[in-house]
Amino acid sequence: MKKKLTLALSLAAALSVGSAYAQKKSLVIGMGSADAGKLDPHLASTTPDKGLLNYIFNGLVRLKPGTASPDFIEPDLAESWTVNPAGTEFTFKIRQGVQCHHGYGPFTAEDAAFSIKRAANKATSSYSGDFAALDKVEAVDASTLKITLKNPVAGFLGYVANINGGNMVCKKAVDEMGENFGKKPIGTGPFQFAEYQPQQFVKLVANKQYFRGAPKLEDITYRYIPADSSRDLAFQSGELDMIYGKQDQTWVDRTSKLPGVKVKAMEPGELSTLFLNVKSKPLDDIRVRQAVAYAIDRKAIVQFKGAGSSREAVSVVPSGYFGTDEKAPLYPYDLDKAKKLLAEAGYPNGVTIKTIHTTLTGMQTLIEAVQAQLKKAGINLEIELVEHATFHAQIRKDLSQVVHYQAARFPVADVYLTQFYDSASIIGTPTAITNFNHCDIADAEIRAARVEADAAKQKALWKTAQEKLVKNVCGIPIYEQLQLWAWKDTLDLGYELQGALNLSPPVTEKTQFTK
Amino acid sequence: MTAFLIRRSLFALVTLFAVLTLVFVIVRIVPGDPAQVILGDQASREAIQALRARLGLDLPLFEQYRLFMIGALQGDWGVSMMTGRPVISEVLNVLPWTIELTLVSLVLGIVLGVPLGVAAALKRNRMTDYIVRIGSLLGLSFPPFVSALLLLLGFAITLHWFPVISARSGSLEAWYQSITLPAVNLGLITAAYITRVTRSAMLEVLQEDYVRTARAKGVPWPTVVWRHAMRNALIPIITIIGLYLGILIGNSVLTEIVFSRPGLGKLIVGALNQRDYTMLQGMMVIYTLVVVVVNLATDLAYGFVDPRVKFK
Repeated sequence: MKKKLTLALSLAAALSVGSAYAQKKSLVIGMGSADAGKLDPHLASTTPDKGLLNYIFNGLVRLKPGTASPDFIEPDLAESWTVNPAGTEFTFKIRQGVQCHHGYGPFTAEDAAFSIKRAANKATSSYSGDFAALDKVEAVDASTLKITLKNPVAGFLGYVANINGGNMVCKKAVDEMGENFGKKPIGTGPFQFAEYQPQQFVKLVANKQYFRGAPKLEDITYRYIPADSSRDLAFQSGELDMIYGKQDQTWVDRTSKLPGVKVKAMEPGELSTLFLNVKSKPLDDIRVRQAVAYAIDRKAIVQFKGAGSSREAVSVVPSGYFGTDEKAPLYPYDLDKAKKLLAEAGYPNGVTIKTIHTTLTGMQTLIEAVQAQLKKAGINLEIELVEHATFHAQIRKDLSQVVHYQAARFPVADVYLTQFYDSASIIGTPTAITNFNHCDIADAEIRAARVEADAAKQKALWKTAQEKLVKNVCGIPIYEQLQLWAWKDTLDLGYELQGALNLSPPVTEKTQFTK
Repeated sequence: MTAFLIRRSLFALVTLFAVLTLVFVIVRIVPGDPAQVILGDQASREAIQALRARLGLDLPLFEQYRLFMIGALQGDWGVSMMTGRPVISEVLNVLPWTIELTLVSLVLGIVLGVPLGVAAALKRNRMTDYIVRIGSLLGLSFPPFVSALLLLLGFAITLHWFPVISARSGSLEAWYQSITLPAVNLGLITAAYITRVTRSAMLEVLQEDYVRTARAKGVPWPTVVWRHAMRNALIPIITIIGLYLGILIGNSVLTEIVFSRPGLGKLIVGALNQRDYTMLQGMMVIYTLVVVVVNLATDLAYGFVDPRVKFK
């Protein structure tokens, strides 16, 4: 009897050990939002949606998984491509034998052409602006796609890479589903859409026909957990394998101490900039703007934000972009100079400037630190705190003299310069995007660089533009906030993670659990 | 009774109409543009204007109001501006979760609150009373998200009895696992309210002449308490439960968020952050209906416990 019991016990133990060592095949990701938004790749504009869609879709080209720089562009649905010397004609050779998810047939040059037209169409895409220079796109035959541009576009391949408007959709699926495409997105990527539970999760299953090989994982559950603390606890209890971190150094310090956990601060850095309205009093006086710039201590800010998750700004364009002037002549921290300049400008007793600011925690702590620094130079920064959507609406109505904005963009200098510093983007104009400073002094260089086919000349133009903008204090770049993620160390991503343009680590066919 | 119901229903319709109008105006007064939120911060002004036109936000306000009211009367609440899914299905998707949590925590609150309140009243100014009063005060003043985190730390992380993500379904065990902590969290707060009201209602009734008479003529003490005193103390208790049911649905939002449960509260906070006008309007109809119905049910309940109440 006793023997039997022992036998049964050891058998049970063996079984449980067996299952404990069976390789895990399901990945559960915890994302910091309350629910899915738009799951149509050409409409999605939020980090949570873009992160998920990246597992479902491919581009014509892609950024090598784990990288966030256009230096690492490699073939995706296009096997190869050629471009004419003028930089206006791209011919892509489309990979053959790629299948769309859920039996929607092969992916051909026809689908690619359809996809780009859809992304360039205002009615079906949030990214139509990226294709403003698009002249023609045609499928020459099943495996050849030709794109003609009205003029050369800096870093055009980036717009047909696996992000935003570059995501390739399958024509048959869009035709069939129309506006409902976002309820069951059909792509060609390693994972395909399976299920959506409102406010809970989206489930993806492996696409066994994936052209790079069947994924090693069987499925991904993408869970929506808006509360930072709940996400941390669920990660700690093992219910989540990978989480979007609270974007804050204390989170890094705390999470790194958990056993069996990897924490990563990855690229791209979101550049935090103070835009000064150069048309408003007293900021129309360059001496006042210079005083503000001299009064900001970037080193102290990085210490405050945490060296592991942030770094000092280098220019008005984030570091590492194609065309960033990594040694732009930023104003050094110098309180005496700041005070002297203020006095010269006629404000010996100090000056008051105003900002409307969001209550988003990470940004709010920064503006309060800046406020304290400016105070020392006699500059009184009045902060009016408003809720985030109100903030976005009011700064676009030109109600805020100083605008604090934090953003990463496609890593080509042109995008940042165009959106934030080209006079065509000045808020209030019909073509407005996010030029809050009302500067137009670098227009000539920004516009010339945009269509310059010679890379060296282009870089020189961008450098001049950045110097002008820095010197004229249109914007004061402060620091860059890296993207924080954590995952179990038993999860092997299958590539080395440096960064990801959509701000979420890719999950590829090679991603697997080692246990 | 029938006349009462008809009058109350008409009154409810007027309330609903007023709330709809108010909501329509308020969501549009709040700064912030749904088109901007939908397109993200890289969108050009032209693209935003185009989307506003597609969403019908460029129409004169009165025209928008007219279309909204016609739709609402026909039961068509439109589609969510953010997700493009019908408002009604978004609401129905998560409504069962909210109803479940509300009912379970309410039952928990009654089961705990009424006996505790009675006990405190009977042992007035003795140890039991002090403990119950301090306990209920704590329950009232404790922020629900803090108690929720403490519950998670204790029972999910340290003891591993429950999952942190309380949104499982499928089996009875899964249901029990996912409802317990959130329901306890809300139930304790509800219990605190009910305890305090029960205590004071009982104290008042216990001093009435008929209670003394009943005791004097030799009715056993438990009968006096539960049959004579309790039934008369029920009216204020039912009032607070009715009132609280409305508050509970709103209050559950923090609990839903911390326990990662789907629910109406999360839906409305999301819609508010994103300026999802259509969604907000639809949600407000639901909330108004709930409050109206609960109030009606409360009024009717008075009649059941107290035969003196007449519906006129």
